[in-house]
Amino acid sequence: MRNQKLRGAARAQEGDALGEAGTAGAGPGPHRDVIALDSVSRSYTVGGGTVTALTDVSLRIASGELVVILGPSGSGKSTLLNLIGALDVPTSGTITIAGRRIDGASRADLFRYRRESVSFVFQTFNLFPTLTALENVEFGAEVAGGRDRDRARRALVDVGLADRLHHFPGQLSGGEQQRVAIARALVTGNPILLADEPTGELDFHTGVQILGLLGEHAAAGRTVVVVTHNREIARAADRVVELSSGRVVADGPPPGGPTDVRELRW
Amino acid sequence: MTRLLRWSWRDLRARWVQVVAIAFIVALGSGTYSGLSSTSAWRRLSYDASYRQLRVDDIHVTLSDGSFVDAATLAAAARSIPQPGRIRAAQPRLLVPTQVDASTANRTILVPGRIVGAPIVGGAAGVDLQAAKAGRVLRAGDSSAPTATIDYHFAHHFALPAAGSVTVSGNHRLAYVGQVLQPEYFVITGNQGNLLAEADYAVLFTSLAQAQSLAGRPGAANELVVAVAPGADVPRVEQDLRTTLEARFPDVGVKVQARRADRDYRSLYDDIANDQRFYDIFAILILAAAAFAAFNLTGRMVEAQRREIGIGMALGVPPRRLAVRPLLAGVEIAVLGVVLGIGMGALLGYLMGSVLRGFVPLPVWRLPFQAGTFARGAALGLLIPIAATIYPVWRAVRVAPVDAIRTGALTARGRVPLLARIPLPGRTTEQLPFRNLLRAPRRTVTTVLGIAAAITVLIGVVGMTDSFFATIDRADQELLKSSPRRLSVDLASFVPVASATVTGIRQSPVVAGSATDLRLGGTLRNGTAHVDTLLQLIDLRHGIWTPTIEHARPAGGLPGIVISAKAAHDLGTSPGGVVTLRHPQRTGVTSYRYVQSKVRVIGITPLPTRYVAFMDLRSASIMGLTGITNTMVVVPRSGVSTGAAERALFGQPGVASVQPVQGYTDSVRHELARILDILLIVEGAVLLLALLIAFNSASINADERARDHATMFAFGLPVPRVIRMAVTESAVMGVLGTALGVVLGWLLLGWLISDLLPRAYPDLGIVSHIAPRTLATAAGVGVLAVAMAPLLTIRKLRAMDIPSTLRVVE
Repeated sequence: MRNQKLRGAARAQEGDALGEAGTAGAGPGPHRDVIALDSVSRSYTVGGGTVTALTDVSLRIASGELVVILGPSGSGKSTLLNLIGALDVPTSGTITIAGRRIDGASRADLFRYRRESVSFVFQTFNLFPTLTALENVEFGAEVAGGRDRDRARRALVDVGLADRLHHFPGQLSGGEQQRVAIARALVTGNPILLADEPTGELDFHTGVQILGLLGEHAAAGRTVVVVTHNREIARAADRVVELSSGRVVADGPPPGGPTDVRELRW
Repeated sequence: MTRLLRWSWRDLRARWVQVVAIAFIVALGSGTYSGLSSTSAWRRLSYDASYRQLRVDDIHVTLSDGSFVDAATLAAAARSIPQPGRIRAAQPRLLVPTQVDASTANRTILVPGRIVGAPIVGGAAGVDLQAAKAGRVLRAGDSSAPTATIDYHFAHHFALPAAGSVTVSGNHRLAYVGQVLQPEYFVITGNQGNLLAEADYAVLFTSLAQAQSLAGRPGAANELVVAVAPGADVPRVEQDLRTTLEARFPDVGVKVQARRADRDYRSLYDDIANDQRFYDIFAILILAAAAFAAFNLTGRMVEAQRREIGIGMALGVPPRRLAVRPLLAGVEIAVLGVVLGIGMGALLGYLMGSVLRGFVPLPVWRLPFQAGTFARGAALGLLIPIAATIYPVWRAVRVAPVDAIRTGALTARGRVPLLARIPLPGRTTEQLPFRNLLRAPRRTVTTVLGIAAAITVLIGVVGMTDSFFATIDRADQELLKSSPRRLSVDLASFVPVASATVTGIRQSPVVAGSATDLRLGGTLRNGTAHVDTLLQLIDLRHGIWTPTIEHARPAGGLPGIVISAKAAHDLGTSPGGVVTLRHPQRTGVTSYRYVQSKVRVIGITPLPTRYVAFMDLRSASIMGLTGITNTMVVVPRSGVSTGAAERALFGQPGVASVQPVQGYTDSVRHELARILDILLIVEGAVLLLALLIAFNSASINADERARDHATMFAFGLPVPRVIRMAVTESAVMGVLGTALGVVLGWLLLGWLISDLLPRAYPDLGIVSHIAPRTLATAAGVGVLAVAMAPLLTIRKLRAMDIPSTLRVVE
């Protein structure tokens, strides 16, 4: 129920968030759309042949939404996440993030976009092994332009790691590492959080904890896009975009509406 | 096996840049060893062939300074030893100190030198024959005219024509018909014992009769060279000659010495062994650097194969079979390195052959391919990378399969917690380079050691030249501390200080002041230790120039002597000690015998040459030379250049040679300057070596940290910031490696100077010195170049496929 309540609170704050997006946004679609993909395709040349990962995908994601991109392996969901995160560029189509076109942007602009607009949480955590939990989170803050040790500390306290601040990744469990990774992503203050299979390496209980965290931050106004192949996880989302063979085959709220993460089972 | 070979070959191809870098390092090591060591064999072969071809003498007899005997009598005396058939040839000779004016239309060339007069006998009966490098050698018919040949070193240095004429002391014009090499003068030593003197010492070879005529000593000789018959016992003949000649010429000092004991002859051969030790040390250091680099790469390759090894173990594959693939990589790197090393060694050998031929001109140079040396170099090149592979492989196959398979093991943090306890200022991105140093501490240490090895080579090689120059500077400082314009005037013979010769010099219009001194050869002994010395008797209180006397002690009733620190060290004495001086004592107008006197060491001269020794002129009495002189010190009048004074005095009767004291070290400096070109090659090679090691490490780090870098890029950290971190990390390793290399290089230099150089240059007390320029070069190579190495990985970073790299799980 806490998740539902948080989501309600997020709706109440939507006006402020939309206002920000509206100020920044001059692109296609209504102002509440932070992420807008229009007819996006991505293909790769592999071994002399062409493999199409995404075909003509159009998608709009609003501020504060918790969207799950669901699909089997090879469906193109990670490609979609990489395109939104500007880690990859589309073969055709346009991508507009917070009112700014990022397809065709310069390399420097893409780096700036990643610093200022998105944060990543990876399946394999990708923490820096030579930095402590606190320093890993500080890294996120520094890259985004601020250096606030207290903020980093608060972020770790918020994810329940108050007693693990000075531990190195190798000294933390998988769940703890993923919570550090989430804290690192959140401390940037960037409006979009992209999570690629964030529970893929975790046990059920830890996975639920992580999903709860992501839900809380979506409820707090951040746009959260989670990629997963786990249909059960999709039940906790505001919206599920289902991909198959690089195409969007379904887009809408999960059947029966969002479920409390505590009711998920896998 | 084919599958394994193909598999390991793919492993290498995946890291081909690093593999080639290491192969080059191995090639540098094995190539340096093979190329440089080949020169040792070439030198030995060529010296032997050259000495054999020119029929070098076996025994050399020298009369004491100022002594002359009848040439025919001297030769006959030699042939009167028991069993005279043991002597193949005995040639009396007359050696005359002189000044040589070889000036050309564009250049004044006025140097001291020597006329060597010897019977012109060629073929099987000859001794110390000549080989013409230009023009021709002397013929029997040349005895009747003032004809000579000129030493090739001098003529080549000044680019003199193949034939021409020079003027010698007494204003005698002497035609020369060729530029020649003569076995006693393969290495040129100046008249004051200075080495590498070809730029300011000219040797002219003429017939005995012409030399006698030029010196105004008809029939006289002061040397004898002897060639023994095949199979004769040289030491026995030497002893019999000594006994016979001392008995025959009781009033004359006779020094009998086997050619093999001659300093110049010995130095050529001794240098081979000494240089070989240098080569061995440098090759070992470079190969050590190669070993560290190979260790890093194979360690990384094995680490990258960790999961595959784990899977193999899980499938029950025996560890020794799993070890074959990474070991094969080591073998393949070694083979590639050795193949490149053979080419590099051949190239280095070719370059060194050219340098040697220029440095030591010989009539015969033999440079055959040294298969054995190259085989040894190849064996070293093979062994080291393979040995470097064994430890990482051994470690890898000892890991439990479950640990090897587990993902996330690469979150290993090495010794980082140690550093984490030390609060470092700055952002996390500024701390990361320091943390990363301890992330793979073994790699950091081996990289630092590799860089240190390269810097050690640099400091060792260049530091030797620095030390030579510092030693020469020290000598200059002492010699030029007062009256720097003074000239040293050698007289043709011993003359009274009131003689017309001396008066003529004193009254010369170019002379402002002068002093009459004595210069004699002698030997200092202390127990079994002995040192040949060039004794200078001067007015130690009021001379135009007096030596600085360090650690002065009173003479205590004995004649006092000032010797060099090197002589004191070699004699095992110190100021206040008493040593025995074997010196000439006048017995007649042209005869001197050797006697022994006890003398007290009254101080140390800062001059570095061992043979230099000073006594006060009042001690001339023990030599029977009171009121006699054979050398003068002259100060030119104000407004008269040293060159003009030199030229004016050269024309004075009785003057053998004139040399400005300022030019004393010029020739050595000039010859050492030639070595600087070789040192540039060394510096370049060391730069390449350090760069390869640093690049190898930077490249491995970039490879290992690819996921970290991808994460940074995903967070929007730009490539230059990531590169800056890598540069900082490399710079720290460079600083550590350079610091260690400087310390090790300094220790190596100290060892070279205290142990190795005294064998090569026993007469020189070299001071260990590393010039600021050398340290700057070391810093440039070891820190700057090493720090810049990660820049070579920019392209790879820029081309990184971020999404794929983020998913890398090793």
